[in-house]
Amino acid sequence: MSDSPARSQKAQKVLERFAKKLNRQMVGSLLACVHCGMCTDACHYVLANPGDPTFAPAYKADQVRRIFKRHFDWTGRVFPWWVKAKSVYSDDDLEQLKDIIFGKCTNCRRCSINCPMGVDFATFNRMARGLLVSVGVMPEGVAVASKDQWELGNQMGVLREDYLETLDWVSEELRQELGDPNAGIPIDVMNCDVVYAINPREIKYDPRTIADAAKIFHLAGENWTMPSEGWDMTNFGLFSGDDDLGGAVARRLYDKVEELRGKKLVISECGHGYRSTRCEGQNWGGVDVDFEMESSVITMLRYIKEGRIRIDPFKNNKSYTYHDSCNNARSCGLFEEPRELLQIVCNDFREMYPNRAENYCCTGGGGAMSMSEYSAQRLKSAKIKADQLKATGAKVVVTSCHNCVDGLTDLIRYYKLGMEVMQLVNLVANAAIVKEKVTAALP
Amino acid sequence: MPWLEFGNGRKIEVDEDGFIKDPKAWDEELAVALAKIEGVDQMTEDHWKVAKYLRDYYLEFGTAPVIRKLCKETGFSLKQIYELYPSGPAKGGCKVGGLPKPTGCV
Repeated sequence: MSDSPARSQKAQKVLERFAKKLNRQMVGSLLACVHCGMCTDACHYVLANPGDPTFAPAYKADQVRRIFKRHFDWTGRVFPWWVKAKSVYSDDDLEQLKDIIFGKCTNCRRCSINCPMGVDFATFNRMARGLLVSVGVMPEGVAVASKDQWELGNQMGVLREDYLETLDWVSEELRQELGDPNAGIPIDVMNCDVVYAINPREIKYDPRTIADAAKIFHLAGENWTMPSEGWDMTNFGLFSGDDDLGGAVARRLYDKVEELRGKKLVISECGHGYRSTRCEGQNWGGVDVDFEMESSVITMLRYIKEGRIRIDPFKNNKSYTYHDSCNNARSCGLFEEPRELLQIVCNDFREMYPNRAENYCCTGGGGAMSMSEYSAQRLKSAKIKADQLKATGAKVVVTSCHNCVDGLTDLIRYYKLGMEVMQLVNLVANAAIVKEKVTAALP
Repeated sequence: MPWLEFGNGRKIEVDEDGFIKDPKAWDEELAVALAKIEGVDQMTEDHWKVAKYLRDYYLEFGTAPVIRKLCKETGFSLKQIYELYPSGPAKGGCKVGGLPKPTGCV
């Protein structure tokens, strides 16, 4: 049992970089597993594929753990056969690892919070993704989106002129809708109370969420702006495990808010964007920021509570349930505010079970929507989510995440659930009361 | 890699999300088959206008256009685009136009 076979250059690099990633959090998670199996029932992949033990979080984690044991833990150096320590040698070994850490886990962290030993598998799964990415081993979709985010500053390769023209278009339509020449989206205005950052998906494919947000900001009389650059609050670094990309993307956003001297950065409804920008980006980028950051969910709720916008819940007259995004709920604790908001803007809210931090992933998380090679497996594993949605009996599933919108839409179609997917901003904008202009003539 | 069978026994390679692998292999018969999968039973003149614009743009620039361009050039509103392709311009329109799957988290 020796490491005699020759090792490929890529495998060698992965091992060298592994050593540099081992902080206390990683080592704790790599060492602490006692294989009790609590995580098995926590994972939607296992629940939907009960006959396949290779989906079990402990099994998946062991594929990374065995490398750690072989090289960094004394037990694996002394008795590798006993603790199942095993190294990686070939490019093929790395490809096999890729299919597990990218293809069989959405980094949703449901197993992490259900682990009695405190093993955060998703965190070292992300670390392992980063190791593979550093030697170019990753799903093609991850490579393309990462490249766009490095080069063009947003993950969908939207050009500056297209971005600005889209905002212009949204502004024009909003002025028509509200009949108010002062409505619209202010660009690069200095010293605003709110700088609003979005997901490129909103520009490229569905600007209705931008229009809805602009309407709400306008009705609330907010002093707000959108930046002409550094406007993408998503971050493929979270999915790919590349901290350099994560830091660069986050800093682009922070720098712009600072340049505009914005008081608060409001992040549109996107789970991974919220987590990356508000919770992780400062660590990746090695910077501190002086301004506040908040989810637009909290902003909208605040406007209602402060009486800045008024709501007619009868405008939203279907039945609604709420899907917690993993990154929002499990990783950032954002789960009471969306419910409070939803109960204000509609009359028929039905809870989903399990919910909040225990909710199941939309099954498209962790960048899975960009990895076509695993789509069949992803949709098959979405059965548990489909059953959970169906049991609510609601017509509409509301979520606060663009990625969840697409993940849920995909599985709803696949399982023929006939449900609609919306975001809170759609409901709030729809229910917001637009004051009629008083045009009575003076006596 | 899965295959899509359509027409009189024709077969074409698609990715796991059902987008065709070789954009050059696209023709109208294939578009009609792809449209059915995306919930469009009848390809009207308006459907063709959207699909062909997306396709031409892709062949020229190697990427899908932003929805603003699509609306401006075809004259349809956003609402109309979503009525024509219920699964949206990214999934529906692009697939029928023979584009590869859009990149990023969609």
